[in-house]
Amino acid sequence: MLVTSILFLAYGASPLQAYFALFHEPFATLRGFGYSLVRTSPLALIALGTIVSWRSGFAYLGFEGCFIIGASATAWLALLTAPGTRLGPIPFSLFLPLAILFGFAAGGVWAGLVGLMRARLGGNEVLISLMSNYIAVFILQYLVSGPMRAPGSLPETRLLPRGTWLPFILPGTRAHAGILIAIAAAILVWMLLQKMPLGYELIVTGFNAAAARYAGIDVGRRILLAAFFAGGLGGLAGMAEVLGSQHRLMDGISGGVGFVGIVVALLARLNPIAVIPTALLYGGMSVGADAMQRRADIPSSITFILQSLTVLLVLAFDALRYYKINLHVFPGRTPPPAAQEVSK
Amino acid sequence: MSGQQFALTAFVVTWLTASLRLAGPVLLAALGETFAEQSGVLNIGIEGTILLGALTSFLVTLYTGMIWVSLLAAVVVGIAANLLLAWMYVTVRASQVVAGLVFNVLALGVASAVYRKALGDSAVPESIAMFQPLHIPFFGKLPVIGPVLFGQTILFYLTIALAFASNFVLFRTNFGLALRASGENPAAADSAGISVSRMRYAGTLISGAAAGMAGGYLVLAQVGLFRESIVSGQGFIALGIVIFGRWHPLKATVAAMVFGACDALQLSLQIFGTHVPPQLLLALPYIVTILAISGLFGGKAVQPAALMTPYVKD
Repeated sequence: MLVTSILFLAYGASPLQAYFALFHEPFATLRGFGYSLVRTSPLALIALGTIVSWRSGFAYLGFEGCFIIGASATAWLALLTAPGTRLGPIPFSLFLPLAILFGFAAGGVWAGLVGLMRARLGGNEVLISLMSNYIAVFILQYLVSGPMRAPGSLPETRLLPRGTWLPFILPGTRAHAGILIAIAAAILVWMLLQKMPLGYELIVTGFNAAAARYAGIDVGRRILLAAFFAGGLGGLAGMAEVLGSQHRLMDGISGGVGFVGIVVALLARLNPIAVIPTALLYGGMSVGADAMQRRADIPSSITFILQSLTVLLVLAFDALRYYKINLHVFPGRTPPPAAQEVSK
Repeated sequence: MSGQQFALTAFVVTWLTASLRLAGPVLLAALGETFAEQSGVLNIGIEGTILLGALTSFLVTLYTGMIWVSLLAAVVVGIAANLLLAWMYVTVRASQVVAGLVFNVLALGVASAVYRKALGDSAVPESIAMFQPLHIPFFGKLPVIGPVLFGQTILFYLTIALAFASNFVLFRTNFGLALRASGENPAAADSAGISVSRMRYAGTLISGAAAGMAGGYLVLAQVGLFRESIVSGQGFIALGIVIFGRWHPLKATVAAMVFGACDALQLSLQIFGTHVPPQLLLALPYIVTILAISGLFGGKAVQPAALMTPYVKD
């Protein structure tokens, strides 16, 4: 906070004013809050994917790619079922589950390939997943400038048919049902990791792969499964963005959300329930940053600095204290001790 | 010489020249990264460091016009930035993946904020003085080999010299031995009286210096201007080269040439006009990297054993 205040001063703006702009618009105005929710849904879904993979010992960083693949697959499906095409318009109640399934599977398979390389060949998932992001970007560029391109000067698809859009949930704002999907996913991930045997096996795999193997858990298969779930959540994030907010597929649709989502997961200490408020804070800050750029003429890239410095400080603070303090994110709903040990 | 033959020769010369030209910066970054990884630190932050180095050399050249000074400035900034990273990796013992990744976001924010502060929102990027290709007498006149091997910028020859120097330092000096011991078996190195922390700081700072210089190389010998997207994953490709090169400077040099060749092939084919979608060619270097590090060709066995493992002294 202090460092950023100095940064604000360097731009000739009063820190108080800047912070006011950063938080007033996204949280104190209805319109701004709607935008905050729009930014929150993909962040939260990607953060949940991060939690599933990282707690299973699979350091996946390819959510940018999953997001793009999920978004592309959903857009393709939506255009396929547009009125007048062969599949014709299908009712939204049928389309939505189909889209969720499809987006999830597309992202899951994309990440699953990396999981396969790690589980079967022993490749380094950190670097492979980073590279796979770039490949996804090129696939997207190919799609929107080639087979899926709409007539016009911009590389993008046609507007998706209205019948495939996610419903808006707050009247007068752009907030869409993606946030509900994110909340449902958070609860499901929490149940998976805390209440189900499979989740326990995933966590054990992440905590101590050798012990897991000794206990009879097929580590390779668990990693593959974790990769699939994580990628699927990343794909859902792409689906929510394309059906809820953009309503078409275009180049540069991801814009770094795959990495910010990972940061959100880390700040939420890999706790699926804490992801929702953290993502809301981050989504709100990015809305506020744009407002700040308009009003106080401070470049929005300052929020990159603010956000990353926060994480670095939290990391340093955490590690230097070394298990001495348990910061309870939610005083009333503390996750069981096992969760906190793993998150270290 | 028939017309077709002539066109083919021209194609090969353009291709190979571009291969070596493109290999330079990533090789430089990969050489530094080799030091970091041999000491036990996976420094993902080189992506951001290259960006900061590129910005520094661009701004310094813009204001002073002295390209060697700006290259030096990029190295200094690289070292300074990696002091923060080394502190996170070694002293704080944070997750190396997380710290490096977050640092890259930080570097992007800093670079774009500083660039805007310095130049405003001017739409037209300004270009600057650059290193020119050398013209070496006699050798430069040889067919094919002449322009390919003897028509590069001085930075290229400097990088090749650094590759041999790195090889010597890593495998023929006490410092290199101590560094590798810290990455292979830190507890043993510690009991032999080596300061593991100091070695890892050294490895990280060397990679920072190299990455900063690689950024300068990119701007001063290849692009001539600055954009936020100038690095676009080259730091990550350097990480791939280190693995492909089996944590060995000379093998990394060969690996970097292979990557440069892929990258250049895409450029050459685009110039000559083909029906292959350009995105497929653009993706080629990344696909090659993934295959190279997928584990299909082994690699786990030669990795420094304590890579990514923070060392806690008992």
